[in-house]
Amino acid sequence: MVIQTKQFVKLLILLLMGGWISQTLEAQQMEQGSVSLTADQTKFFETKIRPVLVRECYSCHSTRSQVKGGLWLDTKLGVLSGGDSGPAIVPGDLDESPLWSAINHVDYKMPPRKKLSDEVISDFRTWIEMGAPDPRVLKENKVNTKITKEEIEKGRQFWAFKKPVSYSPPAVENQRWPVSDIDRFVLHELEQHGLTPSGDAEATIFLRRLSFDLIGLPPTPEQIQWLEKRWDHDREQAILHIVDSLLVKDEFGERWGRHWLDVARYAESTGKELNLTYPQAWRYRDYVIDAFNSDKPYNEFIEQQIAGDLLPVKTDQQWSENLVATGFLAIGPKTLTEQNGRQFNHDLIDEQIDVATRVILGVSVACARCHDHKFDPIPQSDYYAMAGIFNSTTTHYGTIDTLQNRHPSNLLVLPMDDLNPFDNRISTSQLAGLKSQLLEKQLELREAQLARRSQRQGDASNNPQTSFANIARLSAVVGGLRAKIQQYDEKGNPYTYFMGVQTKSRPENARLLVRGEFDKPAQEVKRGFPQVLIQKPASIPAKASGRLELGRWMASDDNPLSARVMVNRVWQHMFGNGIVRSPENFGATGQSPTHPELLDYLARDFQNNEWSVKTLIRKIATSRIYRSDSEFSTASFQVDPENHFIWRMKPRRLEAEVLRDAILRISGDLDPARPRGSLVSEIGTALVRDGVLISTIGSSNPDIKTGLPTRRSGGRSRMNREGGMQQTASPTSPSLAKIDQPVSYRSVYLPVIRDNVTRSMEVFDFAESSMVVGVRETSNTPDQGLYFLNNQFVIQQADKMANRLIKEKSQVKDQIKLAFLLAFGRRANSTELRAAESFYRDFETSRSRFGLSSNVQKLSALCQGILASAEFRFVN
Amino acid sequence: MMNSEINPSQFPSRRALLKTISSGFGFLAFSSLATLAKARDDKSGSSNNPLASKDPHFPAKAKRVIFLCMRGGPSHVDTFDYKPELIKNHGKTGKFRGSILKSPWDFPACGESGLRISELFPSLGQQADKLCLLRGMNTDLPVHPRALTQMHTGNAQFVRPSLGAWTLYGLGTENDSMPGFVSVNPGAGNAQTYGSSFLPAIYQGTKLGGSRGGGRMRGADASSGGGIPDIANPRLNSRQQRQQLEFIQKLNYEKLRREKEHPGVEGVIESYELAFRMQAEMPDLLDLSKEDQKTLDLYGIGQGETDKFGKQCLLARRMSESGVRFIEISHDNWDTHFNMTTRLPQLCNQIDKPIAGLLEDLQRRGLLDETLVIWAGEFGRTPYAQGGDGRDHNNKGYTTWMAGGGVKGGFSYGGTDDLGAVAVDGKCHIHDWHATILHLLGLNHAELTYRYAGRDFRLTDVYGNVMKDIIA
Repeated sequence: MVIQTKQFVKLLILLLMGGWISQTLEAQQMEQGSVSLTADQTKFFETKIRPVLVRECYSCHSTRSQVKGGLWLDTKLGVLSGGDSGPAIVPGDLDESPLWSAINHVDYKMPPRKKLSDEVISDFRTWIEMGAPDPRVLKENKVNTKITKEEIEKGRQFWAFKKPVSYSPPAVENQRWPVSDIDRFVLHELEQHGLTPSGDAEATIFLRRLSFDLIGLPPTPEQIQWLEKRWDHDREQAILHIVDSLLVKDEFGERWGRHWLDVARYAESTGKELNLTYPQAWRYRDYVIDAFNSDKPYNEFIEQQIAGDLLPVKTDQQWSENLVATGFLAIGPKTLTEQNGRQFNHDLIDEQIDVATRVILGVSVACARCHDHKFDPIPQSDYYAMAGIFNSTTTHYGTIDTLQNRHPSNLLVLPMDDLNPFDNRISTSQLAGLKSQLLEKQLELREAQLARRSQRQGDASNNPQTSFANIARLSAVVGGLRAKIQQYDEKGNPYTYFMGVQTKSRPENARLLVRGEFDKPAQEVKRGFPQVLIQKPASIPAKASGRLELGRWMASDDNPLSARVMVNRVWQHMFGNGIVRSPENFGATGQSPTHPELLDYLARDFQNNEWSVKTLIRKIATSRIYRSDSEFSTASFQVDPENHFIWRMKPRRLEAEVLRDAILRISGDLDPARPRGSLVSEIGTALVRDGVLISTIGSSNPDIKTGLPTRRSGGRSRMNREGGMQQTASPTSPSLAKIDQPVSYRSVYLPVIRDNVTRSMEVFDFAESSMVVGVRETSNTPDQGLYFLNNQFVIQQADKMANRLIKEKSQVKDQIKLAFLLAFGRRANSTELRAAESFYRDFETSRSRFGLSSNVQKLSALCQGILASAEFRFVN
Repeated sequence: MMNSEINPSQFPSRRALLKTISSGFGFLAFSSLATLAKARDDKSGSSNNPLASKDPHFPAKAKRVIFLCMRGGPSHVDTFDYKPELIKNHGKTGKFRGSILKSPWDFPACGESGLRISELFPSLGQQADKLCLLRGMNTDLPVHPRALTQMHTGNAQFVRPSLGAWTLYGLGTENDSMPGFVSVNPGAGNAQTYGSSFLPAIYQGTKLGGSRGGGRMRGADASSGGGIPDIANPRLNSRQQRQQLEFIQKLNYEKLRREKEHPGVEGVIESYELAFRMQAEMPDLLDLSKEDQKTLDLYGIGQGETDKFGKQCLLARRMSESGVRFIEISHDNWDTHFNMTTRLPQLCNQIDKPIAGLLEDLQRRGLLDETLVIWAGEFGRTPYAQGGDGRDHNNKGYTTWMAGGGVKGGFSYGGTDDLGAVAVDGKCHIHDWHATILHLLGLNHAELTYRYAGRDFRLTDVYGNVMKDIIA
């Protein structure tokens, strides 16, 4: 059974009750709408209640004011559906009406400045007890779509919204060229346009391309030699062999998992103004990498991410995996400082709809949040049909309760232990110590708050600024301590937390919002999927959120888009361009496929092969077209300047991760092992500021009484240590750490902090982690020049590479040759060798200023130059 | 509409040009190459450099922007929005949550125009005839981070490109040795204020200096480089580095020779040239030690409180001269909830002389006409008191100003109600403000679009009216 903290359960219950009560009562009230109130009831409201609401409440709680706490009291709907903390009034029930306790200054104190008179309070009692009769007309907005049934039906005939068809490969003239059906489709188009395919690339060029594409690392000299020997007489078998050997490597999942993380906008922090960490996000990262390595059927992969918590399972392990997969919906950016709870909730849902539809379906449904989709036949109501599904879902992304964080969230606990090395058992006395410390800090916080309040009333004796800063700090410490305590059961055993989603026990439809504005609700919309993508309406049971049905529909062979969108992504990663060049937009404004029949063929084939990504990649990698040369042809260029028909292989710039990993591999410094967790999970709950993670409980209290070592020293030593998180099981986590650490594991494991990307990633167009990035930019900036010329990492790696060369070869000539072979994946030509040799000869070294011999200095400067060259940065 | 997507495959080849140089390649070729390339670009009217200077939509009033960003929300009723009614109603409680608080400071009539400007700005008051006050400002939210984000991107909800990034995207840059958009001390957690979001990364602002303290910037300090990452080599001297760079470029030209068409390689070659020039020029540009004493005095540099912001202002002028398109400098913290009578004079003093000096200096050098100087905080403050000696946030009415760059000087536009609570006249929402700034730069805010996720985005979303009345 999933263990949830008490707080979480309480929160959940509150949410659910709020939702339920508001819904049922609203329904009743709407029926009452026609039933007029008695004259006495109306009079009572108009004389005793409305004037008080106007005078005391509207300035903060009306549709025309700031709407504090998401509550507005100037409409009947507002009163009954309530604000952040549920309905304001439950007619007839004083205990359940927060407004009642607020005017009595129990929890909230409303109005904040002066309590209402006893007489007025007694009026409110009478009013609530008599059922809160409210004559204000419940104005029901209704938004009618301008998109007709016919237009939707017509939209269903659009190529992308029809199911893919199994086309047979077309006939081609040059029968000797194709080695696979893929080739026949491509050659057919080339021939149709009077183009000829380019010749096969050289073995070295092909191998470098294949190796980077499949595992994101350069080929070894041994692989180069092996393939070159077989290239001329046994090409097909040799390619098959080397493709298969790469597909089984763990590096494959690290390479292809990262492609998915780009579109899943994976990150380990909330981003935005208050940037708090997601210490458990790495579980989702590892899940994705493992899924690609185990060749998990892609349809299952997306189903788990949309509805993993709802899928039937046989084992706890399976369950755990499914749950972690739902992190997909939880890891998005969050505006924790948003003051309005409704706005926050709508934005959260919007982000989930946007990501799910663009990533998996290649259409943008979120365009219809405020109005009908401008180009595709997606009425606004279709958006709210999906919003109902996600509105019936709770998202658990973590982040602690502090003064600034208006939307703290609890994490969920996995059904089985899967701890990371930073989660250690603590003794019951340590736990007790933490608890007493929490009490102490809570007290301190309360005192500071009191002091501040008195100060606000004019007591100038205290320093207000210190006091405010103090309160903010204390609230973070309290929040951090509370989160820390929640990590353990009462015996001090740590729980295994994860980020993910759950379904509310009473799902509800969403209301359409006029122009997407949360305070202008209109008609309720039945939960469902975009009509243009389905033949018959979704069948969602009343008691289900619809998320399971959504996941199943996305994963089914009947879905017109899921398979096409994924095969297009795979194609794009291997050819530099997709068959559809707008991978997140297959709709009317997207680009048309260059090879529509091939796209369908691949999609159907993908489905028929149990949605196996590895099978698909293997087919492409062994095709003739994939081994094409990248040579330029003026004649072909004139016919097809955009290279739509692949008359040559497109030269591509390597991505940030590939560049960094390749440098590490070449220098011999790459640590291929997967680090457990991530830097973020090591630091835990933290605030991100200027490239530094600051633990919220860390430095505030160096002499923690629980026996945990002092944080400050822990932090210091951490900052100076190389090797980052491959640490031993230290009993505590450090209090702060730079995000940019000199670590040597693969780049996919570097911390991904929104707005704080590490230098080596940021400089080469790392995917913006607040957005869905299907196609990365490939900029060419002077900053990249500065990076390769001056960056410490590059220089250190060049030193290591130089030392490796010296270790492996004794002659300078051979050292230089090996440098080229490692970096370019081929032997240097004579011009390059001459340039290198003369550089080596002429380069003036400094007198051992850096403890390096003259030879190492020369060789290092040379290696850096080779790594800095365009040849290293591009793949042909 | 602008050419919104940059397609490298459409780049005209520079092969022919590069060929002539690759035979006798040497260091001197760097600068001449760039000059040649620019001359060619100017002739053909097209360029493969996304940062190349572009024609505006219509003749521009201003060529560049200096944005003086006042974080924290300066009180308009104590600085630029004179409200005699506050004096009359001082101490009264009415519709507000606190009692009305008169400004403790006088508002003398300044300059020939007689603009009323708080006595807290004695130097700036002397520049009154250059100022165009926008007294009808309003924005959506009274919350710092979100209002600050909206002021920069138009949208507090989603991550969107910043004003500077849009400007650079629209106009390119004039100096190919310098970044086109620089943000000095933008503050921690404010990456969005200089971010490019979905616009290509090349339009992102270059951040200078840490999160706090402009005083830390010492451009000439090679090891820090004034906050630009990797601006200096920690090991090689310039001679060694030149040797290394020549080796790199030899390899690059060799690649270009082998491959007939490769815009990417051409781009790498150019980017190394620019990197090398930046490396040489940036530290110099950031080095204020070469300015004469008179200039330093003008900005209040070396004069205690004004030193820090004075340096930023002087830096802004130096960047203007060198052709940086969009320069943002920052000052904080204007969040005067408490102790306003002591803190506000300090804050005003810190920026008064530096800004006056900047306006004066720009004018002397003939730069003011083509440089739009903007002063703004994310919102203003309430006419009523908080804790007796402070004011709360107010997004419904406040004041910003502009100077130079084609706006009327000694001019006041729009206004708040009698107490300064709400903008009632000449209302200028952030979207209108953005539309006006782009207009002054010769850009039509409705046409400056970029296609992303299937639709054309713009800085002003579906809003924005140009405030034509303020244009000279």
